[in-house]
Formats: sequence, structure tokens, C-alpha cells
Amino acid sequence: MAASGSYDVVVIGGGVTGAGVARDLSLRGLSVLLLEKGDWGAGTTGASSWMIHGGPRYLEFDWDTTRLSTQDAGYIVTIARNLVYRVVFLIPVLPHDKNNIERMETAMEVYDRFQPLKKAHPHRRLTSEEALRAEPGLTPDLIGAVTMEEWGVDPHRLVFANVEDAVAHGARALNHTRVTELIRDAGKVIGVRYRGADGALAEARARVVVNATGPWSPEVAAMGGARVELRPAKGIHIVYPHRISNFAISAESVDGRDLLMVAHAGFTLLGTTDDDFYGDLDSVDVVEDEVDYLIQAFERVFPTIRQYRPVRTTTGVRPTLFKWRRYEDELSRRYEVIDHTREGADGFISIAGGKLSMYRLMAEETSDAVCKKLGHQAPCTTATQPLPGNESDPEPPAVLASRCGIPALAAIKLQSRHGTNSEKVLDEGGTPRILCRCEPVTEAELVYAARHEQVRTLADAFRRVGVAAGPCAGAACILRAAEVVGTELGWSASQRFEAAREFVRGAWLGRAPVLGHAGWAQEELAQGSMRGLMRVDGTH
Amino acid sequence: MARTDSLAKLALAYGVHLARRRLRRPRSQLSDLLDTYASDGIRELEPSERERHPRLVTCINCGLCALAAGRVGKARLPDLASSYMRLYARLGDASSDVAGDTPDLVAASAVCPVGLPLDEVAAVVRRLAIR
Repeated sequence: MAASGSYDVVVIGGGVTGAGVARDLSLRGLSVLLLEKGDWGAGTTGASSWMIHGGPRYLEFDWDTTRLSTQDAGYIVTIARNLVYRVVFLIPVLPHDKNNIERMETAMEVYDRFQPLKKAHPHRRLTSEEALRAEPGLTPDLIGAVTMEEWGVDPHRLVFANVEDAVAHGARALNHTRVTELIRDAGKVIGVRYRGADGALAEARARVVVNATGPWSPEVAAMGGARVELRPAKGIHIVYPHRISNFAISAESVDGRDLLMVAHAGFTLLGTTDDDFYGDLDSVDVVEDEVDYLIQAFERVFPTIRQYRPVRTTTGVRPTLFKWRRYEDELSRRYEVIDHTREGADGFISIAGGKLSMYRLMAEETSDAVCKKLGHQAPCTTATQPLPGNESDPEPPAVLASRCGIPALAAIKLQSRHGTNSEKVLDEGGTPRILCRCEPVTEAELVYAARHEQVRTLADAFRRVGVAAGPCAGAACILRAAEVVGTELGWSASQRFEAAREFVRGAWLGRAPVLGHAGWAQEELAQGSMRGLMRVDGTH
Repeated sequence: MARTDSLAKLALAYGVHLARRRLRRPRSQLSDLLDTYASDGIRELEPSERERHPRLVTCINCGLCALAAGRVGKARLPDLASSYMRLYARLGDASSDVAGDTPDLVAASAVCPVGLPLDEVAAVVRRLAIR
């Protein structure tokens, strides 16, 4: 076993909440070890709708949740300016919808009271003709529409920005590192044993251990002899590698649920389902029925949806707090900070429930509980302290592009991930060559990610810089990406090839459920090039 | 209790909304909407572009069109279809990439295995790239 380390706090779980806790505590001057069994944000966080939203639907249940959520969204938008962008929803109202246009506008009028908290504009109301001018893809059957503004965010970059800042303030952060055991002594949790990315076992002692593992939190709590009760809910999204509509659009599902088609920068997310989940959290599959359920709802408001080719699906499990009898959609997205002292696990705290939009607040309250336990007095500063790359305004992308010899579009994308650190990233990699042309991503950015952003697999590279995220799904770039990452990490030729095969195989699993819907010809061509190059047949 | 309270407040807001609708003449809010979000790149596609849109985003980035016809301005042809077309909300800051020469796009379309109309793609991208 490797030598022990000693920290004030060990945080288990490298989703947005765990990373937020690690950042918060590091900024307060505590020594922190952050451990993630997979990659940063690869679980529930990465499977989200990519939105920092205020939660207008909570207006029906609890206005306080909406207020807290919008307020915290406002803080996130301020500290992570380069990562966020406006997403404007057009909510079409059709005959026989459960809410008529007056009810919908009432809800938006109420929501407008909270919108300034997150620097968003008030709603607008459109007639059916106006809605069709703004979004000609909508069904002509609509009665009218109202708009609503939210913020889009790249959750993978948001997590990593928190990790990066935690490390910059003294934390140690390890991905691909699985906690195997909590070390207990006389009714107290005093540390963790873990298996690192290289397979070696190690242990770390800590005055407090934080369980921020989302849907895995009952499992991790049990290691400490404690209990966290969740009602996990599975949600899937269909990913289209294009911006299908100008506005994000909402639709009512066959069972009356509100679904969203979210127009992000260069892709569209269509989702989500919400079903009680009892299976293996490490192996959550998408079934074709779920895909059909989503597409059926959107075909009603956006009739051409079946003509678009989805590129993959995403799936994740929400760590919803347990409640008996409630219908899944009615479950609260509130969260709870649980001190396990009464269960004979002093020094052990879990954070359960919540949602991406409130991650910072969840991290703040968890950190407050940790500091109280440690008798450490330092205020939280995460609401105002900018995340890396946001310390000042970035230069115009065309200027960066011209100076560094890259297309302006590549500069825009680079700045959306690295903000004011973009030039540093390009300098490190040493080449302005474009590696992934769909996104577009420079080779330099991938080199930087392998050297400084803990990229250990090509799936990590996909999350960190968006390589292979576009329409070709890696057909044109994944082998070169394997070369670049392999060179940095010292992979042999066969390791590089195997890494590319593994990525393509994983991508195929996410794509199979959507293949029945559109674009078989394009899919055949893309897969054909994969088969020819890499002997991947999609049967694995 | 929170639920009851929320529903009661919504009911009150609904009453106020209906009264206000009766008293005030509605005015068009479309231009306000488009003006508000123009700087965010949220601009309407023309109805004809909308109708053709599913055809315009089918590029699989095979690269054959680049062999046939090269670049539009500084942008390689496959990038125009696979990258610029999908990121059209951001094109206002990337207009310099697509300014300049236009190659024989009909020839480029002729070699496209998915039959992408590259001349239409170029027209849409260039229109959206002008702020």
C-alpha cells in the first residue's frame, strides 16, 4: 500500500457538487483530497440537460426552491461567464394542452419576478403567426406561445473549472480513483482507502470525510455504517449534433409531462425522461421505447424532428431525496446535508439530492457543516470568486484567431472552454492545427488537456475539450486524437489503437437506441469508415 | 403547506393576469424578442431555409468535397457544412472565416455521398455570419 496522506477533508465524488465542495473548502484554507472513481463530471452531472435554470416548474410546489435556484444561478453565471450562454425557450401552446395560454403566461409573469436574480430577461408572449415567424419549424396548429430565458452551460467544463481552482488553492484531486473502504475508529470515520488509476492501493486520513457521490451516496454511506435514503430516477436525452431550432422548445408528453428540446451552441438535447431506477448505477442503458416517447412528444410541436439524425443518447440517474407515493416528476429537487454522527459515524457528512443549478449553494452549505465540525472560521467566497479564465473580459475571438493562426470559430469555441486562458492553452500545445473539425478543436488544446487537465482516456478528452462530439462522432478525428493523447501519456502504438477502439465501441452503445429514427445512410457511411479503419463492427 | 401556499399565490396571479388582459390592448412583442436576443446569435432562419434545414445538416465530414473544391473564404468546405452550419448562433463573431472566394460548390455537391447542397449551406452560413 502506498504511503498515507493526511488532510483536513477528503471529498468523495467528482461531480459538480463534490468539485464545488473541494473548491469551497480549499478557498477557505483547508487541505482537501478530492477522489472520483471515473472522470470528472462523468456521472449525473454530465448527463444533465446542460442548463443552469431557475426551475419555473417548482412554482407549483415551492416558490422558495425557485428563489434559491435562480439566486444561485445568478452567482454561477457571474463566476463562470465563459461557460454560460443564454438559452431562450419558446413554449408553444396547442389545443388540448393541460395549460392554456393564459395560465402559461401567468406562470411566466410570476417567474419574471425571479429572473433578475439570474440576469435574465422577462418573458414575451407571441401570437401563433409571430411564433411561426420566430420558429418556422413549429406546427401551424399552435394557439400562441410564451418565451422564457435560462442559461446553458457545459457541465463537464464547469466541473473541471471547480477542480482546477481547488487544485490552484492547494487541493489534491485524483480521477479514476475508486474509494474501496472508509477507515473507522471508535464511532468515527477517520479516512479512506482507495485504488488509484494505476491500480495501486493507498489510504488518506482526514478529520472529515464528505460523501458527494450523487446516486451512489447510499452505497458510500453504507461503507461508513450510515444511511442515505434516495429515490433514484433515470433520465435520458437524445443528442442531435446540430442546432435544430433557433429557440429551445418545450412540449407536452403523452402522459402530460413537460419535455424540453434545448438548443445549445452546436447541438440539441431532447429530453428528458424521469423514471424510478432500481438497476446497476454503473450500467444504465437507454431503451428504444424511451427514445420513442421523447420523439413522439416533439413531433407534435416540431413535425420535422424525425428528419434529423441523432448522434447519440445520454443517460444518468438523479439522486432525488426519498419520498413515498409521489409521482416521479413531483419529487422535490431539494437537497439535504446529513451529519452521520448520530449513526455512529462522526466526521462523516453526506450531501444528497439537489440539482446542477444549485450546486454552488449545496457546496457552500456542506462546507459550512464541515467548517463547523472542524471549528474552522472562514467565510464562503465562491459566489463572487471567478472560476479560472473568468478573471477579466476575453479579447474578441477574431483578434485571438488572427494572432494565433486559427479560424475565428475555433477561437470562439476555445474561449468558451478556457476564457482568458485560451492563448496560454494554444502556446502550450505549440500547434494551431485543427484536430476535430466538427467542433472545432485544436491539437494544442488536446495536448494541454492531456498535460494539465487529467485526461487519461479518449472519453476524458471528449468531456474536457469536446473532441468527437460532432456529427462524425469521431470518424474523422479519433485516431489522430489517440496519437496526440498517446504521445503525451506514453502509450504504445497498440495502446493508442485500443484506446480509439474503446472510444468508438462506447460511442456505438450510446448511438444504437436512436438509429431507427433517421439518417441510416449517413450512419452507415460513418460506421463504414470506422469498420474499415478499426475493425469495429458494433456488435460488442 | 408550501404546495398549498404556492397554488394559492398562483391562483391570485392568474386572476390579476386575466384582469390585466381585459384592461390592456395587447401589442406585438416579436420585434422586442428578436432585438433582445440578436446579440446572442438567436436569429430566425428564413422559412425556406427552415424547410430545407434537415437536408443542410447531414454532413458526415468525409472530406470528399474538399478534394473537389477547397474552401469558402478561409473555411474548408467540409468544415462549412459540419461545423459552421451547426454553430450558426455563433457565426457573427466568425464572419472573417467565410469572407472571400467561393469555389465551384455545385461540383463539390456532386461528389458528396449524402447529397448535401453545399451552395445552399454556404448561402445560409454567409447570411448568418453578417451581424
